[in-house]
Amino acid sequence: MLLRIAVRNVARGWRRSLIVLLSIGVGLSGCLFVVAWSKGLVHQMADNAVKIQLAHMAVQAPGYRDNPDVRYNLPDYDAIAKTARSQAGVHASPRLRGEGLVQTARKSVLAVMIGVRPGDEAEVSVVPSSIVEGSFLRTGSGARRLPPVVIGVKMAGEMRAEIGDKLVLHVPGDAGLGAFRVSGLYRTASSEFDGVAVFLRLRDAQRLFGVGDAATEVAIVLDDEKTVDAVQARLQEALGSGVEVLTWRERARRLASMLDLMGDLSWIFYATVFVAMAFGIANTMLMAVYERLREFGVMRSLGLSRARLMMLIALESAALTLAGTGIGLGTGFALVGWLGKRGIDLSMFSDALESYGIGTRVFLHAGWEDALTPLALALVTGVVAAVWPGVRAIRMRPAEALRRA
Amino acid sequence: MADAVMQAVNVTKDYETRAVTTRALDDVSLDVTRGEFSALAGPSGSGKTTLLNMLGTIDAPTSGIVRIDGDDVTAMSEAERSDLRLEKLGFIFQSYNLIPVLSATENVEFVLLLQGLGARERRARAEEVLVELGLGDLLAKRPTEMSGGQQQRVAVARAIASNPSIVLADEPTANLDSRTAESLLDLMLRMNGERGVTFLFSTHDRRVMDRARRIVQLVDGRIASDESRP
Ligand SMILES: Nc1ncnc2c1ncn2[C@@H]1O[C@H](COP(=O)(O)OP(=O)(O)O)[C@@H](O)[C@H]1O
Ligand SMILES: [Mg+2]
Repeated sequence: MLLRIAVRNVARGWRRSLIVLLSIGVGLSGCLFVVAWSKGLVHQMADNAVKIQLAHMAVQAPGYRDNPDVRYNLPDYDAIAKTARSQAGVHASPRLRGEGLVQTARKSVLAVMIGVRPGDEAEVSVVPSSIVEGSFLRTGSGARRLPPVVIGVKMAGEMRAEIGDKLVLHVPGDAGLGAFRVSGLYRTASSEFDGVAVFLRLRDAQRLFGVGDAATEVAIVLDDEKTVDAVQARLQEALGSGVEVLTWRERARRLASMLDLMGDLSWIFYATVFVAMAFGIANTMLMAVYERLREFGVMRSLGLSRARLMMLIALESAALTLAGTGIGLGTGFALVGWLGKRGIDLSMFSDALESYGIGTRVFLHAGWEDALTPLALALVTGVVAAVWPGVRAIRMRPAEALRRA
Repeated sequence: MADAVMQAVNVTKDYETRAVTTRALDDVSLDVTRGEFSALAGPSGSGKTTLLNMLGTIDAPTSGIVRIDGDDVTAMSEAERSDLRLEKLGFIFQSYNLIPVLSATENVEFVLLLQGLGARERRARAEEVLVELGLGDLLAKRPTEMSGGQQQRVAVARAIASNPSIVLADEPTANLDSRTAESLLDLMLRMNGERGVTFLFSTHDRRVMDRARRIVQLVDGRIASDESRP
């Protein structure tokens, strides 16, 4: 019943509360928009990184994470891939990944060379389906019997290389040299990746790096990303302690911490809005309290205790704040839903965005957790903002309050 | 004396304002006996409201003590006084008695809620009292939808619903026309007769005074006369 009184009083005083309601509404929906925007950016970045190169998780040799050198490799990668695939909804692709130099007659650039089996790789990465010219590592036909290599359009541009051109790959070590022919060009959302990643066939990479029949990782993608932790635990147990099963968050810690940071940042955004609003709410509640001193006097005469009167005022303040929050979240989510699905075209800034692997369209990202933080904060703010008005109300003797018109 | 519901003993009340101190009550002693139907009479400014506030524990005397059912309320904590009001006192004020956002039934329920009654029992008792007082038509009405007389009747219902030892009413008829005033008095009188509720009300209306069985006359914060009649 106290709640009913509180809510009805908010409804009754809506004129007085309008400014507070609107300012919470506007502040919060703006805040939600900014949060959804930055989350969208980071999520897209992470999402693309997972699709392009990280996969959901990977099996690696111990030591590779700290020092990504082909020395730390997995000779029994096939058995590992098989174990992984034996689980439902799990796709696996062995990769041999190492650094080196790509050279044409004119120019040479640093590159990351990734040896893959085209069929397996297509199940874990978008690169094989991102070919804009040529094909993904299909064996060259006829006389030009050089092994195929696929490079990004960015690198092709820098090196002025075209389909059919010969490239020489250098890697550290004794064997470390090989001639390849460009069989395809790819383009992903990350121009940075497109500028450095060079794909070749697994066995060609093995020969180039001189590591024998080995891979540096088995990249794993799940049909349902939510099962990452479960699959990780199961795989680690099945494969034993001779290998490390790492999720993409563990592999790309900087990216993962950026995502987490977005969560913390959004919290700070919301907190700022509510701290600013707290004064407006307190002021509105103070007016509401002064308007109704007589009513409180009557209630106190009837035997309402000070504690309960305080509670009544806190409830009213919380109801007011929550109403504003409702307005804010409603508009905010509507805005995010409307603009977010279409995505916001940022092709004018595409250079910067593409190099971060975001793409030219930003899709806003907001979930239930974005409603929970403001709702929780609204409750707290509402109650805290009621303290001063509440103290003013309960400090007065009932007889004094009754004298107020 | 043993049957005194309420007692003021040498109560003095000074109001301090910036420049002046007003003595609103000067050494007033008064006993109210169970079952009384008494009027506190006197011109405006004579201290009627002040005395009722002291007796109702909603203000504190400058000196002297107030006893309710034998307990000294001036020595109590604010929380104890609040509980005491809830259990033993009923209040009716001159106007704007009702909580504006609540219907008649809910207004009566409010005190029952404070007394800790469950939702169903609360509602049943509130409706029962309102119907008993002939206010069955008003149950769902909000104060703004009622006349002044209707509001005061609901206030009476609320005051007696919690079964108080005594109902204090400060000029309950002051804002009513004389016919409505008389019928409100009749209602209070009926409750006094049927339920044995003790009433102490203030008034400066001659006709209202005439219904009381005891008239305490206040002049300048002192009791000038105290007459009972059969
Ligand atoms: N809060 C107050 N501050 C100062 N003086 C007051 C206050 N309340 C009442 N008084 C004074 O006390 C006296 C008695 O007032 P009151 O008890 O209201 O009389 P009544 O109810 O009989 O009209 C009056 O002189 C009034 O002006
Ligand atoms: Mg008065």
